Amino acid sequence: MQLTTRRLRCLSVVALVVTTLGTAHAQPPPDHANAAPTAALPAAAPTVSSLVWRASSEVAAYADTDHVFVLTPTLGVNVASPTAGWSVGARYLVDVVSAASVDIVSTASRRWEEIRHVGSVDAVYKPGLWGVAAHGAISDEPDYQAYSAGGEVTRDFLQKNVTALLGYEHAHDIAGRTGTAFSVFSHPLNRDAFKAGLTVLVDRSTIASFVADVIVENGDPSKPYRYVPLFAPGTVVQRGESIDDVTRARLSARVLEQLPLTRERFAIAARIAHRFRGATLRVDERLYTDSWGLHATTTDARFLVDASSRVEIGPHARLHAQTSVDFWQRGYVLRPGFDFPALRTGDRELGPLVGLTGGARIRVGLGGEEHPKSWLLGFDLNLTSTQFLDDIFTTHRLSTIGALTLETEL
Amino acid sequence: MSSLRFVSLVAVVALFLFGCVRVAPYERGNMAHPTMTTSDLAGAGEMHVRSVQEGAVGGGFEAGGGCGCN
Repeated sequence: MQLTTRRLRCLSVVALVVTTLGTAHAQPPPDHANAAPTAALPAAAPTVSSLVWRASSEVAAYADTDHVFVLTPTLGVNVASPTAGWSVGARYLVDVVSAASVDIVSTASRRWEEIRHVGSVDAVYKPGLWGVAAHGAISDEPDYQAYSAGGEVTRDFLQKNVTALLGYEHAHDIAGRTGTAFSVFSHPLNRDAFKAGLTVLVDRSTIASFVADVIVENGDPSKPYRYVPLFAPGTVVQRGESIDDVTRARLSARVLEQLPLTRERFAIAARIAHRFRGATLRVDERLYTDSWGLHATTTDARFLVDASSRVEIGPHARLHAQTSVDFWQRGYVLRPGFDFPALRTGDRELGPLVGLTGGARIRVGLGGEEHPKSWLLGFDLNLTSTQFLDDIFTTHRLSTIGALTLETEL
Repeated sequence: MSSLRFVSLVAVVALFLFGCVRVAPYERGNMAHPTMTTSDLAGAGEMHVRSVQEGAVGGGFEAGGGCGCN
């Protein structure tokens, strides 16, 4: 797999270099006759200034029946020159997490609270047929740091009816323990992500996008807090068995989670958006598989209706279903000689599950008569029901996330 | 690598299937609507929740970073 990773990385770098050089040598002058919105970037509203400033804020609140609460305020700013074809943006996000989930309670631990800070920047330059983009992000929390940087190259074909995309991102994460210096204890994680995409104008009202991702992860992603209960051979552990029953049935020995040190992940996705008169239908489908044996399908649909020139509303539905990883077991067995599975996890998101989301969003334009959506107030609410098909402690989780957004174009 | 070959095949087929229909620049008014963007419409919070609650990634623009609300 190292060879495969090296080949993919090499191919991506070559593609990025070749296409970037191509931009310098073969770039035609900006085609103002084709200044209509491209497949990848819808046109900005006309303004007097050549620069368009956008600012946005979002406050999202998450809660679930597993006693996890998250508050996430986000601030973003973006400046773009539609005539020159560039834009630069930055975003800052904070996660305030408070959790007393069943996994925490089952290990007799108390509620924990944590704050995560994320800063990101991005830049796009697309003066004509060729476009380049770059992005970077830093995430920091007491026991986890993440750094990522990447870039994309796009090229329009067939009079901008087709846009191809190649992208690459490298991420370096450091997982540690709260209260312990990273120099004393930490697990480095590296991720190389390769993306290829194609966006096609199907007709004057329909756009289709296809994306393929190959993500190669190296490092130990095991959670240093997550203990896995062990059971004697022959012990029957029921699905959804309570904490008390598990405590009675399990052995006194318990071991930390241990996940494989490499993971190759593959996803292909298609997105269709169709514009009706006064409404838009968007449908996404993603198929996923990885080297841990997890297979998944995710379907996402939105129907957005222009209720008036100022108000847009629309329902949202999402269905996610996945199998478990190969080494998933409801109850791991400890055999004589302190023999237990080398790979083990208690992470429910690595087990078989089905999640169904229903929700809606509304956007209200607060701007003047000429540009009613120059100020946009929005509210999104989603409710997700997740069935855990082969887990101890719990079989179901109900979660909700609401987000209040304010966007403005200056 | 077989997945990559499959994806390449799908991309080429899509290019030839849909590329035959040319939409002229002056016919793209509908494409300018904000809801027709190729980006994900989910906000930062919703995308982060997805990345934690779902074992799958890719196929879009995910929020990066640590384990957060896991």
